[in-house]
Amino acid sequence: MAQAAVTGTEQYNYAVIRKFAVMALVWGVLGMSAGLYAALELAYPLLNMGIAEITFGRLRPVHTTLVIFGFGGSALFATSYYVVQRTCQARLYSDMLATFTFWGWQVAVALGVVSYMLGYTQSKEYAEFEWPIDLLITVVWVAYFWVYVQTLKRRSQPHIYVANWFYMSFILATAILHIFNNISVPVGLFTLKSYSMYSGVQDAMTQWWYGHNAVGFFLTAAFLGMMYYFVPKQAGRPVYSYRLSIVHFWALAFLYMWVGAHHLHWTALPDWTSTLAATFSIMLLLPSWGGMINGIMTLSGAWNKLRTDPIMLFMITSLSFYGMSTFEGPLMSLKSVNALSHYTDWTIGHVHSGALGWVAMISFGSFYHMIPRLYDTKLYSQRLVYVHFFLATIGIVLYITAMWVAGIGQGLLLRAFDDFGSLAYTFIETVSFLHKPYVVRALGGAFFVSGILVMAYNVAMTIRLGKREAAVIEAKLAAKLARA
Amino acid sequence: MSEAKTKQQGAVQTTGHAWDGDIQEFNNPLPRWWLWGFYASVVFAVLYWVVYPAWPIGKGYTTGLFNNITYTVNGEERSRHWNTRSLLIKDMQEGDEALKTKEYMQKVAAADYQQILADPDMMAFVRSVTKGLFGDNCAACHGSGGAGVMGLFPNLADDDWLWGGSVEDIQATLTHGRVGYMPGFARTFNDEQLDDVASFVLSLSGHDVPADKVARGKQLFTGEGGGCYYCHTAAGTGLKSQGSANLTDNIWTIADVQGQTEIAGKVDAVKNVIRNGVNRVMPTWQGRLDENQIKLLSVYVHELGGGQ
Repeated sequence: MAQAAVTGTEQYNYAVIRKFAVMALVWGVLGMSAGLYAALELAYPLLNMGIAEITFGRLRPVHTTLVIFGFGGSALFATSYYVVQRTCQARLYSDMLATFTFWGWQVAVALGVVSYMLGYTQSKEYAEFEWPIDLLITVVWVAYFWVYVQTLKRRSQPHIYVANWFYMSFILATAILHIFNNISVPVGLFTLKSYSMYSGVQDAMTQWWYGHNAVGFFLTAAFLGMMYYFVPKQAGRPVYSYRLSIVHFWALAFLYMWVGAHHLHWTALPDWTSTLAATFSIMLLLPSWGGMINGIMTLSGAWNKLRTDPIMLFMITSLSFYGMSTFEGPLMSLKSVNALSHYTDWTIGHVHSGALGWVAMISFGSFYHMIPRLYDTKLYSQRLVYVHFFLATIGIVLYITAMWVAGIGQGLLLRAFDDFGSLAYTFIETVSFLHKPYVVRALGGAFFVSGILVMAYNVAMTIRLGKREAAVIEAKLAAKLARA
Repeated sequence: MSEAKTKQQGAVQTTGHAWDGDIQEFNNPLPRWWLWGFYASVVFAVLYWVVYPAWPIGKGYTTGLFNNITYTVNGEERSRHWNTRSLLIKDMQEGDEALKTKEYMQKVAAADYQQILADPDMMAFVRSVTKGLFGDNCAACHGSGGAGVMGLFPNLADDDWLWGGSVEDIQATLTHGRVGYMPGFARTFNDEQLDDVASFVLSLSGHDVPADKVARGKQLFTGEGGGCYYCHTAAGTGLKSQGSANLTDNIWTIADVQGQTEIAGKVDAVKNVIRNGVNRVMPTWQGRLDENQIKLLSVYVHELGGGQ
């Protein structure tokens, strides 16, 4: 590790990773703040102030795009470039192409959110980008794929480390999902409006095949790749089971592709499709848990580090939330449970236990490990990492519990009958019930946003520290050279 | 125990590879509980596939065994493999809640309004059903308590009825909808005349307004100059057939007279209505609600205010 750090800057392309890492935090702060504001709008609708650009309907895709593609995407670019170089002991294939993926991705995210605020959207969840941005993303993604594969080909040892399989499957699957879900016909060459190639239930089916696999490959497989590098690295222990990593990788990759239709239970979707989605979701539980077991068992034996290393706290907590939300998911995919949970905030809570608990927490942990190494220095403040950890954890717990109350509560109100067999509540009563949970949810969000603000400060100071140290070393070198 | 475990794990070989200096992998076997758990989930899935529609074959699909749903259509019994549509039909025919509702619904359908109003049991049923019906369909305009919105939507909870307050009248309103129209007099009257007519209108409900204005206003109201009496009648009591307001009862739904403390404000409120006219529509509910639902709602709305 030490010798790698010394030769780091020459041996590897860290410049592009640093850019991605910084932008991940910038988008993270913006995206989570947008989410917090959207949450407050739901509790206090007046907060949209009658400005169309920031009404909930537009702010919501701004939030999801910024956190998934801006924060999550940039974090994945950063860590995947870091992991592939270090585990292959090879420099990135092409600096120019890698830099292109950076600018292309950032421009796509920025154009996306601006266009949503102006009212341009494909109206497909997590795929709201209109067609010109979709084309840009496609080009960027092909470049990413090429850089990654070519770097893998340059590896200095025959075996490809497991983290790279996960990153590879993420890149491949995302390409397929993005292309097929976004096939559409633009109204004209100079207009942003387009219509989907599919219609009716086929369109819905394609959308949720995309939507759930975006969760599966973008937000799960890719972050498992992150986990498989940074957890053993930080724990200083070997991965628990090589065999488990192979088996759960293939099971996950095979099973995930089938389950999207569980977002469309009790709709116009044919019943057989619904059944397949539900059963494959159940079969997906243990393969999902494979990653959790491998991560936690890797950490076990280094439990004492939990007392001294806040980064380990992030990692163990993220794995716990991963395990919990991958248990909750199959449960909710059963038709009978779904009848209660669908169209309620339980879904929103479930998504956030995955997105905040798993995706964001593992990214935070990995970044705290990676960023000092990128700048060849130490973290500015260990104490602030603890502060971030507790702010984030309290935020998640408030968020999820509030959404369980809101979702299960509304679900039960919607299906309550009185003694005469009439529905016991009007729709609006089930809505006004949500106010208090919504306030608590916004509070949880505020905790989480404060956490990432603390992190942004800590990282900025770390980068400054790194630059100052580098300047000192350079000055010393120059002085030495001058003397010689 | 943890010590024994560590020893045991220590004995496990790694795969012999090392990445990035120090990343290695143990060669541990798959955890048994994990493997058996996975097998169990596969067994669960297979059983599920046997019972429910699951796999596409050509243009059809496996329909599932031992899981038929039986229901009746036009007195004829039908049996279908499990599917959500049949499930809904069966639930609407035989579900516990549906049966309860059906029993009461038949009773109410057979009864006339006087019988319903006189029977506490049926009235309890009416309140149960209409809570949802009114809340989900009517409350958006008329408010959850039926108080309406001044100037826009009539108050259903008071004693004043534009189109009649008997249950039959209310049923007609619900079934066919209503168009409440009064022309604007902006081009007919100048400002002084508007002032006069408004003063006369207010005098009908006992407001203290200058007598000369009232006299001039009366002439316009009851004469061909304004022709207001066509709809409101010369006495200002309104006509049910036109849905024209009774101007003598000091109940106001369009001009916010009660909301003004000064007489000048009250005159302005009435003047505005005369100047701009009124154009309100109550949609028809025929086709959106069935006959029995409209019947129940009519009783409910009748009971909201002082029904006639």
